[in-house]
Amino acid sequence: MIVLQAKGISKRFPGVVALDHVDLTVNSGEVHCVVGENGAGKSTLVKILTGLYRADEGSVSIRGTQLHHGDPGFRAVAYVPQELNLFGNMSVAENLFLPFDQQGVRSPIFSRRKCEEQARAYLDKLRMTASPRDVVNEIPVAEQQLLQVARALANDKFQVLILDEPTASLTKPEVDRLFTVVDLLRREGKAIVFITHKLEEVFRLNDVVTVLRNGLLAGHSAVEQISVDWIIKRMTGKEVDLDQVYRPTRTPGRSLLEVRGLSGTRFEDVSFSLREGEIVGFAGLVGAGRTEIMQTIFGYLPERRGEVRFLGEPWKFRDPSYAIRKGLLYLSEERKAQGIFAHLSVQQNVCALLLRKVSHAGVLDGAKERALTRSVIEGYNVRARSADQEIEFLSGGNQQKVLIGRTMEAAPRVLFLDEPTRGIDVKAKDEIYSLMKKIAEEQRVGIVLISSELEELLKCANRVITIYHGRIYGELGENQLTLERVLSLVIGIGEQQASPPQA
Amino acid sequence: MTPRGREFRKLAGAARGLRLGKLTGVLGAFVIIFGASCFISENFLTSYNLAIMARDLAFIGIVAIAQGLLLLLGDIDISIGAIAGLCAVVCAKLLVDYHMNPVLAMGVGVAAGALLGCINGLLITGFNLNSLVLTIGTQTAFTGLNLLVTRGRTIVGLPENVTFLGAGSLVGVPIPVFFMIGVFIIALFVTTKTVFGRKLYAVGNSREAAKIVGIKENNVRITAYAIAGTFSGLAGILMAFRLISAQTAIGQTWVLPSIAAPVIGGIATTGGIGTISGALIGGAIMGVIGNIIVLGGVDVYWQQVFNGVIVVLAITIDSLTRRIGKKA
Repeated sequence: MIVLQAKGISKRFPGVVALDHVDLTVNSGEVHCVVGENGAGKSTLVKILTGLYRADEGSVSIRGTQLHHGDPGFRAVAYVPQELNLFGNMSVAENLFLPFDQQGVRSPIFSRRKCEEQARAYLDKLRMTASPRDVVNEIPVAEQQLLQVARALANDKFQVLILDEPTASLTKPEVDRLFTVVDLLRREGKAIVFITHKLEEVFRLNDVVTVLRNGLLAGHSAVEQISVDWIIKRMTGKEVDLDQVYRPTRTPGRSLLEVRGLSGTRFEDVSFSLREGEIVGFAGLVGAGRTEIMQTIFGYLPERRGEVRFLGEPWKFRDPSYAIRKGLLYLSEERKAQGIFAHLSVQQNVCALLLRKVSHAGVLDGAKERALTRSVIEGYNVRARSADQEIEFLSGGNQQKVLIGRTMEAAPRVLFLDEPTRGIDVKAKDEIYSLMKKIAEEQRVGIVLISSELEELLKCANRVITIYHGRIYGELGENQLTLERVLSLVIGIGEQQASPPQA
Repeated sequence: MTPRGREFRKLAGAARGLRLGKLTGVLGAFVIIFGASCFISENFLTSYNLAIMARDLAFIGIVAIAQGLLLLLGDIDISIGAIAGLCAVVCAKLLVDYHMNPVLAMGVGVAAGALLGCINGLLITGFNLNSLVLTIGTQTAFTGLNLLVTRGRTIVGLPENVTFLGAGSLVGVPIPVFFMIGVFIIALFVTTKTVFGRKLYAVGNSREAAKIVGIKENNVRITAYAIAGTFSGLAGILMAFRLISAQTAIGQTWVLPSIAAPVIGGIATTGGIGTISGALIGGAIMGVIGNIIVLGGVDVYWQQVFNGVIVVLAITIDSLTRRIGKKA
């Protein structure tokens, strides 16, 4: 029996078609997996199914009743977001029932006792160990994750449950517990949408799968009739246009960075090397630990174990200012929070990294500042009205060029670029790819490129290392690079290889 | 582009223009208020009245500049008045009880301000504390120390060769005004022309981004607290000289104006936006309004109401222009 039906859903944003006539039908007693690469349209689809976005075309109906934008009927869709989204300083029971409009807890005067009694049933159902009285911040993260599921179930109008990558931060036993719950709900005849990156989960749930690619419905099948390859083919689909490759072509020079058995926040035992003039891509799911690895070497996060050699010398994990002085620079994926100084001018943003270079005895030299800024604006083709324009009014691509430009003025030997083209339009992307190639070939900088866009890695990297759950999962050389191979390693199903030690 | 889009672009452009000319906006407001005051009361534009206003502004101006430096970082110091009071007592005690050389005594008093500011900064950065809450605590402790030393009594008998620094005038201008101008020039130079100043704005804009470009944000913040403490200490000492005695009440009413003045002048409490000149002009606007209320024969109790309304207006206008400017 059909519970949720979405027909011909389209959604356009300025410059992109996020969804193009996508259909999704979920029956009662069914776990419907939705898979797709980053940017395939999964999140947009979820936002339309939960009533957050209004579809440009198409309709969503629950048990045959069509829902319009702002319809209270959307309450029938219970949603468990990927990130934790709880009231940390309130109790488990309060989190479960806020805003206290369900049967049983609805009353003008709040009764803690009643609320906690009611909560018990939901916690038991999910076999949670937390008590209703516990403060959310004090229970383990896995319990918090389950609490989000419990909260969705506590919604007494719910007919469909959407789980958005629910296992992303769970360990094996916790995943097992979650799957038991999902099975239980399936037997009760609930309709479940399960969004995931991990294909092993699709086969474990063994029900129905829908594949999205670039906003299109790329495949739909019962899981027992298909193979892993079938899914991967549909996830990747097209071939990358290899006419436009930005891979450095000069032979890499001497070794710049040797990382041996490094462990830190959210990653274990990572080893890799980087040579002059090469671009090494780091692929992995969001949260796999790639950013943490680079930030640890950069001295921004604390290291636990392991050894790093920089130009043959032992590397000290001190702080970013030490790393910068040595010639190792990091460009954050969080451009707004960790990159630009939003309210300062382009010039002030450029010079912030190079204060020593533009000053004398602690006093700024205006002429040097202007000259440096001019060379960044002209050398990196930054489109700004003037050097005094506040950087927040530049486009994302131009902000990024300012950041890359100032980084290059610091004369780096090693450059960690973390998602350098996130939120940037296609034309600016190509400019940034050309810049990376030029930097690697001409200045012989060794570049680590962290990217969640596989196409970007295939176009720019000399080799690609994949990280899965905080560990190196595989490495692919230039002639092994195909979308299918990289994707398999990213989602943790490909042939696993130990990363070969490099001379 | 749709006509509506074009309209919007124009509006956004205007909003941006308003913001770029932000300091001119505040200055314009000051000129208008000052000009209007000249018409409201004939006693306003007299050398006697101007001197009174200037002397009051000197003290508020110095602490507003001190607080402005911290607000630029996204920090705040509630103990700024308590520091002023304690420094005044330290300096006065050295002069009266120990007959110390006046220059030395002032030096020690001001150094005490630096030390107290430093303590604030070290505690806030070392234990990652909220500056508002921590300085409410130290404000109480510093005021307590003040009472402990003085037993609540006023220290009298300051030598005349120092009291002229607070009470005297030079070519018709009250001497504290010269100190304020000195503090202003130092602060202006530091914030606009030095590496430290640039780091101050960078940390105020984003602590994380500052760390990633290699700025040691804790050092910047501790230094700023020390500078703010130094300036407030100086203001407190000058006030004692003006009163020809060190009273425990010195500085106790300074905290709120020290925050309101920079905010009126365009410094955002979230950090990273505004100028030291703005802080001073903000203080001047408050001073003129306070003065004209008295001269105009309006109930003096209106003064606080007006100051409050100006603060609310200033931050609302800023928020609106910023929001419109961003959408373009």
